Amino acid sequence: MSTPVLVQALSRIFYDEARGELRAVDDVSFECRAGEVFGLLGANGAGKTTTLRLLATILKPTSGTASVMGHDVVTAPEEVRRNLGFCSSTTALYPRLTARETIEFFARINGVPAARVPQRVEQLVQRFGLQEYADARVDKLSQGMKQKVSIARTVAHDPPVLIFDEPTVGLDVLNALEMQKVISEFRAEGKTIIFSTHIMSEAEKLCDRIAIIHRGTIRACDTLAHLRAETGQHYLEDIFVQYVDPAPPSGPAALPGPRPGVGP
Amino acid sequence: MITPGTEPNAGRRGLDWGQVSVLYVREMRAAMRERAIVVNSILIPLFLYPFLLWAAFTGLTFAMGQTEGFVSRVLVTDWPKGHPGLRLKLEHDEQIQMLDAEPPTTDMEKQLKNGTLDAWLSFLPPDRSDSTPVGAFQAVITYNQSQERSSQAKTRLSEAVESYRVEWLKREAKGHGINKAEWQGFTMASHNVASGRAMGAFIMGLIAPVIFVVMVAIGCFYPAVDATAGERERQTWETLMSTAASRTNIVVAKYLYVASLGGLAGLLNLLAVIVTLKPIFAPLLEKAGETLEYSFPLMAVPVVALAGLLLAGFVAAGMMIFAAFARTFKEGQSMIMPFYMLILVPIVFLQTPGLQFTFGLAFVPVVNLTLLVRQAISGNLHWGPAVITVLVSLLAIGLCLRVAGFVLQFEDVVTGAYRGTFFQLARRRLLSRRSQKGAT
Repeated sequence: MSTPVLVQALSRIFYDEARGELRAVDDVSFECRAGEVFGLLGANGAGKTTTLRLLATILKPTSGTASVMGHDVVTAPEEVRRNLGFCSSTTALYPRLTARETIEFFARINGVPAARVPQRVEQLVQRFGLQEYADARVDKLSQGMKQKVSIARTVAHDPPVLIFDEPTVGLDVLNALEMQKVISEFRAEGKTIIFSTHIMSEAEKLCDRIAIIHRGTIRACDTLAHLRAETGQHYLEDIFVQYVDPAPPSGPAALPGPRPGVGP
Repeated sequence: MITPGTEPNAGRRGLDWGQVSVLYVREMRAAMRERAIVVNSILIPLFLYPFLLWAAFTGLTFAMGQTEGFVSRVLVTDWPKGHPGLRLKLEHDEQIQMLDAEPPTTDMEKQLKNGTLDAWLSFLPPDRSDSTPVGAFQAVITYNQSQERSSQAKTRLSEAVESYRVEWLKREAKGHGINKAEWQGFTMASHNVASGRAMGAFIMGLIAPVIFVVMVAIGCFYPAVDATAGERERQTWETLMSTAASRTNIVVAKYLYVASLGGLAGLLNLLAVIVTLKPIFAPLLEKAGETLEYSFPLMAVPVVALAGLLLAGFVAAGMMIFAAFARTFKEGQSMIMPFYMLILVPIVFLQTPGLQFTFGLAFVPVVNLTLLVRQAISGNLHWGPAVITVLVSLLAIGLCLRVAGFVLQFEDVVTGAYRGTFFQLARRRLLSRRSQKGAT
């Protein structure tokens, strides 16, 4: 079986008429395995979202390659999207559809056979406890219920790879915890999960491996235990600062340089 | 993982009608729950425009009645000797008030300009020639055409003086033993062979196509903004683009959604106007002594439906090109507005008296379709221009879709990251050959 997500020397350059060339993603490489939560940790503007958009084929790479379940993001974008579910804090729902219609639409458009759609919708309604609200319009739902519908529509076609781009931004503590619980469940089901965040505690709790991304490049990629050993720091915050700060006041004499990111 | 089935789009690339239909149904379902779209694409075409038409014509009738009710304030100078009957006639006219004062000429012009006097009738000696009979004169009416009331006074005076002149000539001729047939030489009469039904179709053909164009444009307006800028403003654009649907299928579904609502608005409105035209116009025209019948020729139904689809197809494509650059609803509205105004230009053409549906006009988009609708309603369709109209319209739609294809090859336009308009994109990336695909 091929690696679910494989990213090799991926770059994306934007051209801005005022600022010139911007390297949002620069020579990024990593791979994600089945049944793991792969964390992409970086500050705002580090290149997390651009990397994930490249994987979701919303953007095209300037150079390098990436594949999802063996499908190349440039040559087979629709196959890539069929094999992944993309959920971010900015991916909103259609306010004028009901929760049930939303899940049904995303199941159909992502290739679930028409005959199996009702069964799949019902399954997701039950799983996320949406029974009472299934026929209510999305714009009438609470933030927590909207979040559940959003997750349900992300997995409507039961994709093997899930991308969560800062999914807890704007959520209260309880809803954020609920989101973390759901992600853990998906991992237990054997799904490959790419989880981007700038919240260190979330990454510590959820991620099997963490890639620290800064100014478009991967500065480190390993398990939390290895990152601790490498830097001699216990807290992820301190580990993160050591990798992204070019001249730390204290820390190891020689920081590990940019790594390809293929961890053990 | 659920194994993808054969529908919709099980691994195929390009246009997939199964996937398009899923996207289309989603668009329509959401649109039918959006108040602004339902109001603008269905309720306004059905109810508001017939009502506005009724209100406009009722208001016109009222305004005309008001103008007719005015008494014209007239000053007459240098009454001609030998025509006391003329003075009597004017003095007994209830719509004319004779003013007594006789100020200098400059004052009268001033009064005409400031509206305190409506018209000044003066009787002057005729231009001298050998054949000029004794006692002849010329009547000169001085008025202010920029004021409706003054123009009305001029008309009343002209009619009164002309009526007196004809009566006086009749009496004079009789006094000389000449009968009416001899002094008139020849007479002129006209006879309208058009049936009441034909006249009804003519009136309908004048009014219905104009509103038809407006309604198709309005019907497309909100859906076009909703399908593009609305997606970005609601932040559902990224959600949609991360699905397995191809970009082509998404754009085609959105295009069909906008075009079908535009066509629906146009056809619903046409239906409403046809139904309401008789109760609106019949009372007005009956006053003018006309008896009209309104019926819609069966042959016109497919022609009007085709014209509606072509017009909606063209307007939808054009509007979506402009709206593709908008990131908010407000931006979308302002970007579409120039195209919307352009679509309404044919209304000016349609008001041209004696306008014929020629081969030349059949090559002008939108104008050709409105004239086609007019001819179809009038039951007087000429197939040559009609065929050219269909071909030109299809060509125009194809051209718009081609331009849309050009616009959508730029990733930043698709993702909504491009900050500019269609014209800026064309200038920077097409005309200047500094194409930067995927730039932000």
